[in-house]
Order: sequence, then structure tokens, then C-alpha cells
Amino acid sequence: MTYLRAVDPFPLQSADQTKLAEFYARLATGRLSTTRCAGCGRMAWPPRAFCAECCSDRFDWVDLSAEGTLKAFTVQDTGLPAGFTGPRVFAIVEVDGLRIFTIILDGGAGSPSIGQRVRLRPLRVADGPAGDPRWLPAFAPA
Amino acid sequence: MRPVALAGAGVCKFGVRQASYRELIWEAGKACFDSVPGLRPRDLEGLVVGSVMPERTAFQSHIASLAAEALGIRPTRLSARTEHMCASGSVGIRYAYAFIAAGLADLVMVLGVEKLNQPSGAEAVLNMGTGVDREWEAAFGLTAPPCFALAAQRHMAQYGTTEEQLALVGVKNHTHATRNPNAHFGKGATLEQVLCSRMISSPLRLYMCSPITDGAAAVVLASAERARELTDRPVWIRGTGQALDGFQLSSLPEDYAHWPALKRAGEAAYRMAGVGPRDVDVAEVHDCFAIAELIAYEELGFCKKGESGSFVAAGRSDDGGDVVVNPRGGLIGCGHPLGATGVAQAAEMFAQLRDEAGSRQVPGAAVGLTHNNSGMGEHVVMIYGREPA
Repeated sequence: MTYLRAVDPFPLQSADQTKLAEFYARLATGRLSTTRCAGCGRMAWPPRAFCAECCSDRFDWVDLSAEGTLKAFTVQDTGLPAGFTGPRVFAIVEVDGLRIFTIILDGGAGSPSIGQRVRLRPLRVADGPAGDPRWLPAFAPA
Repeated sequence: MRPVALAGAGVCKFGVRQASYRELIWEAGKACFDSVPGLRPRDLEGLVVGSVMPERTAFQSHIASLAAEALGIRPTRLSARTEHMCASGSVGIRYAYAFIAAGLADLVMVLGVEKLNQPSGAEAVLNMGTGVDREWEAAFGLTAPPCFALAAQRHMAQYGTTEEQLALVGVKNHTHATRNPNAHFGKGATLEQVLCSRMISSPLRLYMCSPITDGAAAVVLASAERARELTDRPVWIRGTGQALDGFQLSSLPEDYAHWPALKRAGEAAYRMAGVGPRDVDVAEVHDCFAIAELIAYEELGFCKKGESGSFVAAGRSDDGGDVVVNPRGGLIGCGHPLGATGVAQAAEMFAQLRDEAGSRQVPGAAVGLTHNNSGMGEHVVMIYGREPA
């Protein structure tokens, strides 16, 4: 008996499941966004519905640049979890001063390099439980 | 606070085991009881069980009670499970320590157990994604290797640490494991084997990584009075520290080659124990990946920042060196059954500081240190001594 992937590895993204649904709605249209605390003005990555600085639970959505800089990466060849294939480029990308963990798509198009410009490329993953399309904030060489 | 000591310890055979979750508990429990002649399960006042993912592997919750019943322990003072990813075992030891130091209990077992290869090792790789952030990290397929690979890349770029120096950690710990009959691996490894093993996540190759392992370990913690009744050679808990930098990769300090939380945890433990890095004779550090052992040398003060590569290459963390690191084989050689690891590190200190470690004994070891982490951002350090203070 094997029960690999009898779990959903992707976040629930619809408004009936998360207060952060707006992030995914914008992502589906190619926009990268995050939250800004309505109390103290602090921008956070990833988006959050509670400010760890001032404890406010009020926030506004702000769009971020769709381009960023590759700050660090590693290529995983083997040992990936079931359903994910290598080589996979895991990376830290800096966008508007925020450090974002992501993957770089099209890694086979040439070896990535630190300092390289990368651009948001939303990655469609398996649909949610209600058949809703789901997206992750991946990047690709700009 | 009252002094607290280890009065007993035992470890089961680590590996891809043909044994169930409960059977691993029985094996470690038996090994631990066998180390304390005259101690019976019903003498214990409590049990803390460190275990990370039995809900996913054994499809089982309510772990501490299962283990208590399996071993015949009837807790009257403390019964709890700790889940704290890879540091679950050490966090459990801290709980039992605090209870006994505060006078709320006198005799408590801490047991760590993980049955990862159920039904297969691949299932465990999938489950390991629960240890990083599901929504913002694991959804991309992230597990532990790329996190530590990022630290290795940074260390190499900043300090000139080489792939060969990383490999030497693998050689040392695989070689040490040949002297530990309970280790997952027993064949050792040459530098060439490590450098030619397959790439997992650049620059970390297979023999620089800990494997997916089943295992369990147990220790008995006791107040000074109870410890001296049970043994003439208690091993004393001298200090402990724990600190957190962050959970997500994007919230850790940008320089992944620096682990400030480990430095803080170590300093807290040293201060409490009244010792410094040079006093440590033997250490079990959390070499989940070779880079973690190198950074641990630095943050724990065994060498200066950036000099860990030459430290291992000069043999200063091997037999006869400044401090013998991972004599039992570490996580790379013994395997890393998550919840069991911190407890197995404590069991090694129990053996080393009583001169009972056989062919891997560090001669005259008087002060020992363990380091157990949960990712790069959270660390637990324990210091043990042959003498109470």
C-alpha cells in the first residue's frame, strides 16, 4: 500500500478559505502584491493579517514590482517530495526591498546567476477543492 | 533551582527498521531501563515523548499515553508530547529538566521516537515538507536540503569554504558511525566516495546529508537525591539554552552563513554551566547536513567565524582534536529519526561522561555539549558534566 500525496500540498486560496484571497486574485492576473499594515504602515512578506510590530489586524493591499533581483539560489536535483520534479531552482528574490522565497522557472534555459534580474511568472498548480484555479508566485529570468 | 542529572539512557538500533512505531518505543525503553539496574517502569513519575509526525506515518496521535502504556509507566507528575520538528527530543528534555529543577517531579523519562519509513522513505520526504511553511515554501516543493544548501553556498562564497571541506564532515561522521553498533550506516566513507556521491541540492551531495531513518532513544532525568540512589555516576545537566531567529527562509537573517540564534543558545548554555567552548571535550552537533556542523563549530565558539572548513580539515574536531564532534556518527552516520535525535545525543553524553562509550570513548571526557536544531533559525544547546558544577 502506498499513500503518497493523499494530502493537498498547495494553499487554499479562495475567499471562503482565507483572508488573503486578494493576493491570489491579483496573482492570477499577473500582479504581485502584499499587505501593508493599516496601523503602522509596515509592509510585510509574505502577506499577513496580523501585524507583528503593532498588533493591528487591519491591512491594505499594495502592488509590488513584478521584477526583482536574484539574491541566492540552489538547484535540487534529487530527493524532492512526491509530485515535484528536479532539477528545481529554489531561490530568494528581492523585490522592492522585500526578500521573497520562490522558484525560478526555465532554469534549464541557462544557469541562473546571483544578481540576475527575474520577473514574476505565476505558476498554475492543481485546482482547489471547489475547482478554483490556484497559482503560486514563481519567477523566471527577466 | 535544584540540580538535575541523567540517571540512565538507551538507544535502539537506528536504520530502515522492520519494526513498528510501538516496537521502537519498546526497544529504546528496554535499553534505557537496562542501563539503570533496579529501576522499574512504575517508579517513574512522568514521561515526555518527542515525536514529530506519527499522525502522518503511524496514523497515530495521543503519543505520550501510548508510550507510557507500552512501557508500563504510570505518570503521576508529568505526561506530555513535544513536537518541535527536528529538535523535539531536546525540547522534551528541557521540559523534564524544568519540572525536576522546580521540584514538581523527581524522576522522569524522556523518550524520542520516529518511524519515518512508513510505508516508504519517499513518504517521509513528502512529510518533511510539513517542517517548513506550507503556504509560502512547501507549496513549491521545499524540504530541508535546499535550505541548508543556501547556507552552504553563502559560506563558500563568503569564506572560501570548499566542497572538500564539506565532504570531510561526511567522511568523519560516516567513519565515526562504524564504531557505533546502533548507527544507521556502518561502512564508513572515503573522501572520494563523498565527493562522487550524487548531488542532492547544490553543493550538498548524498553523503553530506542525513538519511531517512527509523529510531528511538530514551533517557531518565532525576533530582540529585534520586539520581544518586540509582547510580554512583550520574551525568549532570549543567546548562541549557534555546533561541529562535525565525521560521520562514525569508524572515531569517539574510546571511544564511550566520546563525545568531545558535550563538545565543550556546552563550546561554555556557553561562548557565559556567564553562566556555574550550572546556568542551565532546560534542554532538546537529549535522543534518555537513554545512550545519561547520557553522555549529563557529557559532558555538570552537573556532572563529569562517574558519570551520580548515578546522575540520586539520582534524581539530576528530579524535585527539580540540573537541571530538559527533563521536557516535552524528545525524549523517546514525540517521535522523527526528524526535529521537536530541534524546540520542543526550544518551551519547551519558555514555561518554561515564567512560562507557567503548571504542568511540573520548578519553577523560568531563564536559559534553549537544546541539539540536529545527531548521537554520532555531537551536537548542545542552551542556552536560561529569561533575555537578
